[in-house]
Parts: sequence; structure tokens; C-alpha cells
Amino acid sequence: MNGYLGFALRRLVQAVVVVLAAYVFTFVVVSVLPGDPVTNVLRNPENGFSEDEITRIVAYYGLDQPVHIQLWRSLSNFLTGDLGVSLRSNRPVADMIGEVLASTLVLAAAGLAVAIVLALAIAYGTRVLPARWGQGVLRSLPSLFLSVPNFVIGLVLIHVFAFQVGLFRVIDPESVWATLFAAIALGIPVSAQIAEVLITNLDHESRQEFAAVARSRGLSRARLFAAHLLKPSSLPVVTVLALTVGELLGGSLITETVFGRTGVGSLVQRSVTTQDLPVLQAVVSLAAAVFVVVNLLADLVYPLLDPRVRAVTGSTRRRRAVDDGSLGAGAAA
Amino acid sequence: MAPQDRLSATLDRPAAPAGTPVPSTEAGPLVSVRGLSVAYDRRTVVDDVSFDLPRWGSLALIGESGSGKSTIARAILRLLPDTGRATGEIRFGGDNLLALSERRFRSLRGRRLGFVPQDPGNSLNPVRTIGSQAREAARLVDGLDRAAADELILDTFARVGLDDPRRAYESYPHQLSGGMLQRVLIGLAALPGPDLLIADEPTSALDVTIQKRILDLLSELRETLGIGLLLITHDLAIAAERADLLVVLRGGRVQETGDTRSVFGAPTSEYARKLHADVPSLNPDRYAGSRAAGLVRLTDPATEPRIDVRSVTKSFTVDGSRLTAVDNVSFSVPTGTTHALVGESGSGKTTTIRLLLGLEQPDSGEIVVAGERLDGRSHRSLRTARRNLALVYQNPYTSLDPTWRVDRLICEPLDRYRVGTPAERTAQVARALEAVGLDDTYARRRPARLSGGQRQRVAIARALVLRPGVIVLDEPTSALDVSVQADIVGVLLRLQAELGLTYVFVSHDLALVRQLAHSVTVMRRGRVVESGPVDDVLEDPAEDYTRTLVESVPAGLAGRSA
Amino acid sequence: MSVAGLTTAEARESALDRIRSLRVPPGVALSFAVIAVVIAWSLAPGLFTGQDPVNGVPADKFLPPSAAHWFGTDQLGRDLFSRVVHGTASSVSSALIAVVIGVIVGGSIGLLAGFLGGWVDTVLARLVDVLLAIPSFLLAVIVVSSLGFDTTNAAIATGVSAVAVFARVMRAEVIKTRRAVFVEASFLQGGSHLHILARHVLPNASRSLLALAVLQFGLSILVIAGLAFLGYGDPPPASDWGLLISTGKDYLKWPWLVYAPALVTIATVLSVNRISRWLRKTD
Repeated sequence: MNGYLGFALRRLVQAVVVVLAAYVFTFVVVSVLPGDPVTNVLRNPENGFSEDEITRIVAYYGLDQPVHIQLWRSLSNFLTGDLGVSLRSNRPVADMIGEVLASTLVLAAAGLAVAIVLALAIAYGTRVLPARWGQGVLRSLPSLFLSVPNFVIGLVLIHVFAFQVGLFRVIDPESVWATLFAAIALGIPVSAQIAEVLITNLDHESRQEFAAVARSRGLSRARLFAAHLLKPSSLPVVTVLALTVGELLGGSLITETVFGRTGVGSLVQRSVTTQDLPVLQAVVSLAAAVFVVVNLLADLVYPLLDPRVRAVTGSTRRRRAVDDGSLGAGAAA
Repeated sequence: MAPQDRLSATLDRPAAPAGTPVPSTEAGPLVSVRGLSVAYDRRTVVDDVSFDLPRWGSLALIGESGSGKSTIARAILRLLPDTGRATGEIRFGGDNLLALSERRFRSLRGRRLGFVPQDPGNSLNPVRTIGSQAREAARLVDGLDRAAADELILDTFARVGLDDPRRAYESYPHQLSGGMLQRVLIGLAALPGPDLLIADEPTSALDVTIQKRILDLLSELRETLGIGLLLITHDLAIAAERADLLVVLRGGRVQETGDTRSVFGAPTSEYARKLHADVPSLNPDRYAGSRAAGLVRLTDPATEPRIDVRSVTKSFTVDGSRLTAVDNVSFSVPTGTTHALVGESGSGKTTTIRLLLGLEQPDSGEIVVAGERLDGRSHRSLRTARRNLALVYQNPYTSLDPTWRVDRLICEPLDRYRVGTPAERTAQVARALEAVGLDDTYARRRPARLSGGQRQRVAIARALVLRPGVIVLDEPTSALDVSVQADIVGVLLRLQAELGLTYVFVSHDLALVRQLAHSVTVMRRGRVVESGPVDDVLEDPAEDYTRTLVESVPAGLAGRSA
Repeated sequence: MSVAGLTTAEARESALDRIRSLRVPPGVALSFAVIAVVIAWSLAPGLFTGQDPVNGVPADKFLPPSAAHWFGTDQLGRDLFSRVVHGTASSVSSALIAVVIGVIVGGSIGLLAGFLGGWVDTVLARLVDVLLAIPSFLLAVIVVSSLGFDTTNAAIATGVSAVAVFARVMRAEVIKTRRAVFVEASFLQGGSHLHILARHVLPNASRSLLALAVLQFGLSILVIAGLAFLGYGDPPPASDWGLLISTGKDYLKWPWLVYAPALVTIATVLSVNRISRWLRKTD
């Protein structure tokens, strides 16, 4: 088990480093870029901060301190769960995010489910459909899905199913139907990415000699897919799935705007308009942290699932056959 | 019940009477191929091929790459890729296989037609256990419940010579060696009791001593279970040893067919004759003329040793344990001769030449080339010494930069060592191309437009261009067809005669070594087993291992048991 | 001494390869045509439409597509086709900026990380991990918030995200090439590290970058359209495709306002993807 433990430890350390670095990165982008937006926001008479408030806010954020002190305070706050205070509403950012998180999580989870189901269906079809042209059509679907902006998909769904067919009403964005269509809009581009990887893997695996040998044992196409192609093709997809977390988070931002849902996306929109930078910084850092954690889990779980990779990370000692172990070494017969 | 009886008992037709010397044609041929053609898109790969395989008989399809032999095997099993179209007739058991529906044909696959693949390492699903895949084969036998199926599988594994069937059953493919995997695959193919076994180059991915055992296993199964064998191979000697009938293929067309003795002993077609002449094991003295000068130098005590390797040892740490790749190896190579390093995989021969070239440093021992010590020196200090030591790699498809043109590839050593003026370098490149038999139209091509043999010639030209004293060749022809190999060997010997080159030639092919080397070192697991002049060591080996190696070389007709 | 002859099969093979490499399948040819039109629109929009994209005739608002107005008119009576054509320049050039940033910065990072290895690799790999961890969209949002709302800044932000993708691929290719046999061969023949890097590793590792760059170009168009849709690009009266769709979503009763710019975007990205796949196949 030594190889695996070492590997796990290294990955863990990497993950921690990346999360910290991501936080520093966002901090730098926000505060060091030209314009010193925080002071711009505060000093802007339109925003109506009184001198008192300005002093308090400056002191709270330590804006009068040198940059590295600010960074240190900010970082230690972040690690203890204090995500700062909104410039606009004076409320703790953590609370603001907490309010809207559920809606976004529901959407993201539903979107992921749609993506996986759709990708599997497409991949299965490309292998098992008897008609060659049918396979061809399915193969071109992922590329098509990836060419359509996800907000367009959302708008089309709204146009057709809300306006024309009347299945749901845009007034009520959190209804089941509305959520379903939002999940479809979110899931389609993600499904394309998963499907592409699945299809590429399936093609690769089906060209492997073992697929032909298995068919020589009388397996049908469907049987071959289920018993031999699916597992080696889909295991690498675990790592791809982890990567799509970023797509899901970014995509839900847009989808929430299109469907009028109140989630993290709309929070970000409001914060951008009002230049409420602590909120933005917190959201971005959290998103990065989620991404890193999910990928860490995927990287740790994957060797446990795939025996090929297990051997490489050394958790199973290779029982190499030293001798051919056959009719007796050196036997003349 | 003894395992083989049990196996026979599950079959519903009688086993061949023991000791049948001649396959019976009374019941009509087992397989009759008529006018088979296969095309991919518009490219014809197999053109109007016909042959008959008699019941309980064995037939070998022989050909080099591109001959279509593997395609024919796949066409019979209807395992061609989607773009392949087969036309013609394949009669088997009263049906034309090509005309059957997929569903009807699928019931034949495995049950009546078995398949043994070429590369055992890739022929089993790597993420599932061997046992779970064996059960697929057992499912083809009617009326077995789970327990009975497992028992049959374990019996079969024992039958094919695995001495721990349980362990094999529970293992993943990557945990077994190539030879063991091939035994498993043969067992799984034979388990359902097919009428015909199609073996597609079943031993070409295996070491030479294991090859013989696997082929023996196939022959044994054939005799006791009465299975017909269709053997696909590029090796004429193996075909002559193991098959009763031969079909020689080239470019998708049949060049010659007939029973082994006639085709092999007195080939009528020019291609078959050339093929016969190109097989090393069948023509050990082919190059006796070119070799003669070197033999003289070998025995002449006045000849200086060009290379002197003394007691070299090298170990690596792999997965936490220490592996001794080269263990106290010594040999000496006189100037102008060819010294062969022979061994199977894991013998340490590749590590030895890497030590010789300074790509690795020995833990102990000395390496002396042209009187100069090479071990323990830095890359920079070896720069001058490397001008006299060239390397030709085994794989011509990876040893040439695909983005470079041929003339630039050959000129690279001259450029790197700043030899002469640019005009002189161009002339040198042209001379090198000519020396390996390529005309100047090849100079402006990229490797992608060259065949394997041509690429290897370019690699040799590149090795020559600095006029080194020593060329090290790491299995330079093992990735090439036999006829191409013969051409390359001819080029190498001619160059040696003209330029007085010293060669260190690594190979696993004893027959090839016999043809062109003067002295040989046999290695096994990092140690020297035996060393000396080629004729002595190979004709009268002192060690058992050497003897096993020599006996494993397929000998064509001479190797037939009947 | 006879010249090595090609066997019949091999001769057929190389000639076929040459022919095949020149022949462009019809789908790909069509894609090239579409891209050519798009490029023409961005370079010389005036050549393709005479109508004014900025000032409209209010009386002509919400006209459906017709011979006079190919894409119909919008809520201010402006010809939508003209607006789409004039918006092409910024939609497309911004994607180009993003890809160029990604290739140059990302490619260099990948090259250094892959070739030098050691602590350089570790540090650069962590940096790339950070860029990868932040969803490209959010990264763009935060950069644009700091730098200001215009399409060029959106392009820079998208480029920064793309750096991660190119760095990863370049690094993997460099590591693979470093281990290639022909690299060792060059080493034995007196090649210095610099020579190997510049003449062997770089040309081989970059081969797969072209197809990736084309793909990223298409992706960048989508991301920037999304940013414009949310209002992070050039403000009106600019007519970035994303912005057009965004305006159109408030007037879904007149669906051509959304469908026209959407279809143009889809056609462009689809063509780009098709070309990228073809490039990958002919490698």
C-alpha cells in the first residue's frame, strides 16, 4: 500500500497549495489591478458612503495597511470561514452566499445528472445502433452541442416550451418544469464533453485486440459494450467528470440569468454591477476550492477503481511470473 | 476423469484417432475458401484467394506484412473492421459463412470457430479478471451450471500447462507473463470444443524458448482433440514445421499452394523461392563469402580488440526492490568483426549496450573502446569518443524525427560535430545514401513516406556518416519483414567488408546471428551463459540454456515430428 | 547494388496518403467557406451591407426577415443583418486575441515545465492548476470587473483561462517527445540540450497544438459571447453577437432577434470545430 499512500499524500499537499494559491491569485487580481476599485467604489459620491462608514470599512478591511498584511488577514479570515463583509449591504458574505447556494446546488446536480444520462445514451447508441448512418448522426451530436452557446439553448427552450407550448411560466423560475429545462440547458454542453471522451475511449477500446477476441467468443455488440467496453472506457471519465465541475459552476451562472433563478449566479451579477468585490472574491475562491476538492477525490478514487492504474501507483505488488511456470523448466518433452 | 477426457467428453463428435498421420478428406474439407476478396473502401487487400483445409488437417497462411493473411483470418471469423467488405465463398459445415446473418453466424463463433490472437498482452480485457472472461468461453458449452463451468475452466487451465490454475483464474491480465497469457487464450479457444482453431501469429510476440512450447501445445491439442488448425504466420520455418499444407500469399494474392513437402522442398513460384532463401534458419551459410574476412580476423591473434568490456555490473531500483540488470559481464570484440549479444527478454543485452554507449554508467567494471576507457566519464568528455561509436536502433519508426527530411537527418552528426564545410557535408550525405543503396530521390523525403526497410537504411546511413569504427546495432531488423531483413543484412555485411567496421549486434534471433556474426555472447538474466566463436557455440553448445535456445529455433521440415 | 524497391502494397500506400492529404472532405470545405465569409465580415463589413447598424428607422421596428431586411429589424428599427455583420469584427477578433494569449503564454509555460522538469515543473504546474481551478467564466467576470467592461478585456480574461489548457497539453507533448527515441539518437550524435529543444522537441510537440488552437478559438467565441450576453462586453450600440442575443431575449415575441445572431454564432463555431477535427485526423 505504500505507493498509494505516498501518492495520496502528495496529491493532498498539492490540493492545499492550489487552494491557497487560488485565493492569493484572486486577491491579487482584485486589489492590485489598476484602478484600486475598492477606493473607487468608496470614494464615488454616487454610492453614498459617509466619511464615517468609509473610515470604518477601511479599518475593517485594513485598506490602510500594506498589501501583504491585507492579504494575510484576508487569508486567515477565509480559512476560518469568515468570507468578509459585503460593501453594499454590510452583511457577511457567508450569509449572502448561504442564502442562494441551495438553488444553485440543485441546478448543478440536476444538470450533471442530465449530462451523464445524455452522454451515456449517445455513447451507447454509437456502439449498438445497427444502422451506420444512425451511428454517424450520434457521433456528430457532441460537436453540435459544443457549438451552441448554453444561453441560446436556454432561450430556445424557454421560447418553445414556455411561450409556445406553455409547459411552464417564466414568472416561476423555481418550479419543477422550469428547473428541469434549466438543467437540460446546463447539461447539454457538459454532456457533449463527457460524450466525446466516452466515444473516443470506446473507439480506442473497441479497436483493442481483446475486443476482437471477446467477439470471437460469440459476444453480441450489446454484450461487448456492457461487459468489456463500458468499464475501461468510463473509468477515465471519472477524472473528466471532475474537470467538468468548472463548466457546471460557470454554466449555472449564465443559466440562472437566462431562467431568472436566484442563485449564486444572480448574486455574482448583482455584485458585479455594484462592484461588491468581497463577494466576488469569496465566490471565486469557493468555486476554486470546490473544484480542487472534487478533483482531489477523483484522483484518489480512480486508482482504486482501475486495476491498470493501481499497478502503476504501486499499491498491488506486481506478482510477475518469473518463470513460464509451465511444463517444467528445461523439460525436454 | 482425466482433464483431456473430460474436454473430449463435452464435445459431441469423436476425437481424431490417435496417430493419424494424414488428415482425412473423406467427409469433405472442413473449410473451403473460394474466390475470397476483401476490400477496405476502395483498396483491395485480399484478391481472389482459394484454398481447402481438410478435416483434422493443418494449413498455414504464410506472408509478409501487407500480404492479407491476417485479413483472411478475420474474414473467416467475420471480425473485419466496419470498413471492410468481404466477397466470395467460405464454406464451413455446409454453409457459406459470408452469407449467414450476423445472429446465425454468432452462434458459430467460439463454438465451432476458435481464435488464438497474436498479442497475448492485449487480448484480454485489462480491467476484468481472467476468470470472469473465461466464463464467457464456458457459456458456449451447453448445460453447465456455474460450478461445473468453473471446474471446466480450471481443468482447461491445467491442461494447457498452467501450474496454478486458481491463481490464473483470479488474476488480472497484467499479472501474468506473456507465455502464460497465451496459454490461457489457447485454453479458452479450445474449451468449447471448436472444429477449427484459427491462430493468428500466436507466437510472434513471445520469447523464442516460449514460442516452441506454445507451438507444441497447439500441436498437442490438435492431435488429442481433433481440431483443425489454420495457422497464420510470417515465419516459413514455423509453417513448415507445424502445418501439413502451405499457402503462400503476397499482396493479397496466392503465390503458391500445396502440401508442405513440395512447396517447401521445391518451391515453384519465384516469390516462394525468394522467401525460402531469405529465412535465416533455413540458410545459415548464405553470407559465407562476406563473412569470411571477419572470421579470419577473429582467429588471427594479431588483431587488436576494438572493444573490451570487463566485469561490468549494473543494478537498478525498481518498485523499491533492487534489480541486477547486468551481472559481471565481460566480452571482447576484435576489430573488423561482428560480435552478437544474444538473449531473450530480460537478459540484459539492451542494458549492456547502453552501458557501452555511455547512456548508463556501470556500478563496477571497465569499458574500453579503441584503447580508451569510457566508463565513469561525463557526457561532455565522451563527446569526442562518441564520434567512433554509432547506434542503430531497433524501431525505425521512432528513431527518426518525423518532422525532419532525410538529408537533414543524415547530416545531423556532421553538423553537430562541425565536420568540414557545408558543401563537403552535402557530399558526405550523398555518399552515405549511396552506400546503403538509396538513390538521391530519397534525400528530400520525410520518414512518413518511407517503408520500414528504407527508414532503417537511413538510420544506418546516419550511423556511417561520421566514419565510426564501431556500429552498435540493437535488433535492427526485428521490426522488419524477412525479405527486407535479408536486404539490410546484405548492406551491413558489404559495408563491413568495404570499411572494416566493427559491429556489436544485439539479437534474439539465433539463426540470424549464425548468418552474420563471428563471435557471440549468450546472456540470461543479466549473466553471461556462454561466449565464443559463433560456429562453436551454436553447433556444439556447452550450456543447457544455450542448447535450449538452439533447439527452439524452428527448423522447417527438419523439425517435423511425423 | 540494387535500390530498395517498395512492395506493391507500400507503393500504393504512400501514393494514396499523398492524395488523401490533399483532398478536403466536402464538410470541411464548407466550413472553410463559412470561416472565410466570417473573416471577410470582420475585415470589411461595409462591403456586405449598406444599412446603418447604429441608427435605425423607428417606424420599421420589429419587421420579420424579408428581402429588404435579411434578418429583420430590431426594437429600434435597425437592420439586424447589418448589426450582425458589424458585430463580427469584435466577436471574432476578441476570440483571436484570447487564443494568441493562450498559445504564446500557455505554450511557453508548458515548454519550460516539460523540458526543465524538477522544481520549475512543480511550480509552473501549480500555477496552471490554479488557473484551471477557477472556472473560466468566473475568472473572466472578476478580471472584467477590475479592468472595465469592454470586449478586449473580456478577450484577455478568456485568454488567461486558455493559458491553462495550452500549458497542460504542451507540457504533456514535450514530456512525451523528450522520451522519444529520436531525441536520444540526437543526443548521442552530439546534440546539445538547446539544439534538441529547439529543433526536435518544439517542432514535434507543437504539431498537436494547431488543432487545439483552432478548437479553443471556437470555444473563446462562445465564452466571449456569454460574457457579452451578461453585459460584460462593449456596451450598446455595439453589436457583439452575445449582446444581440441578450437584447433579443427581452423580445422573444419576435424570435428572429435571438435566432439570427444565434445561428450565425453556431454556424461559425460549428465550422471551426469541424476544421479542428479534420486537422487532428490528418496529423
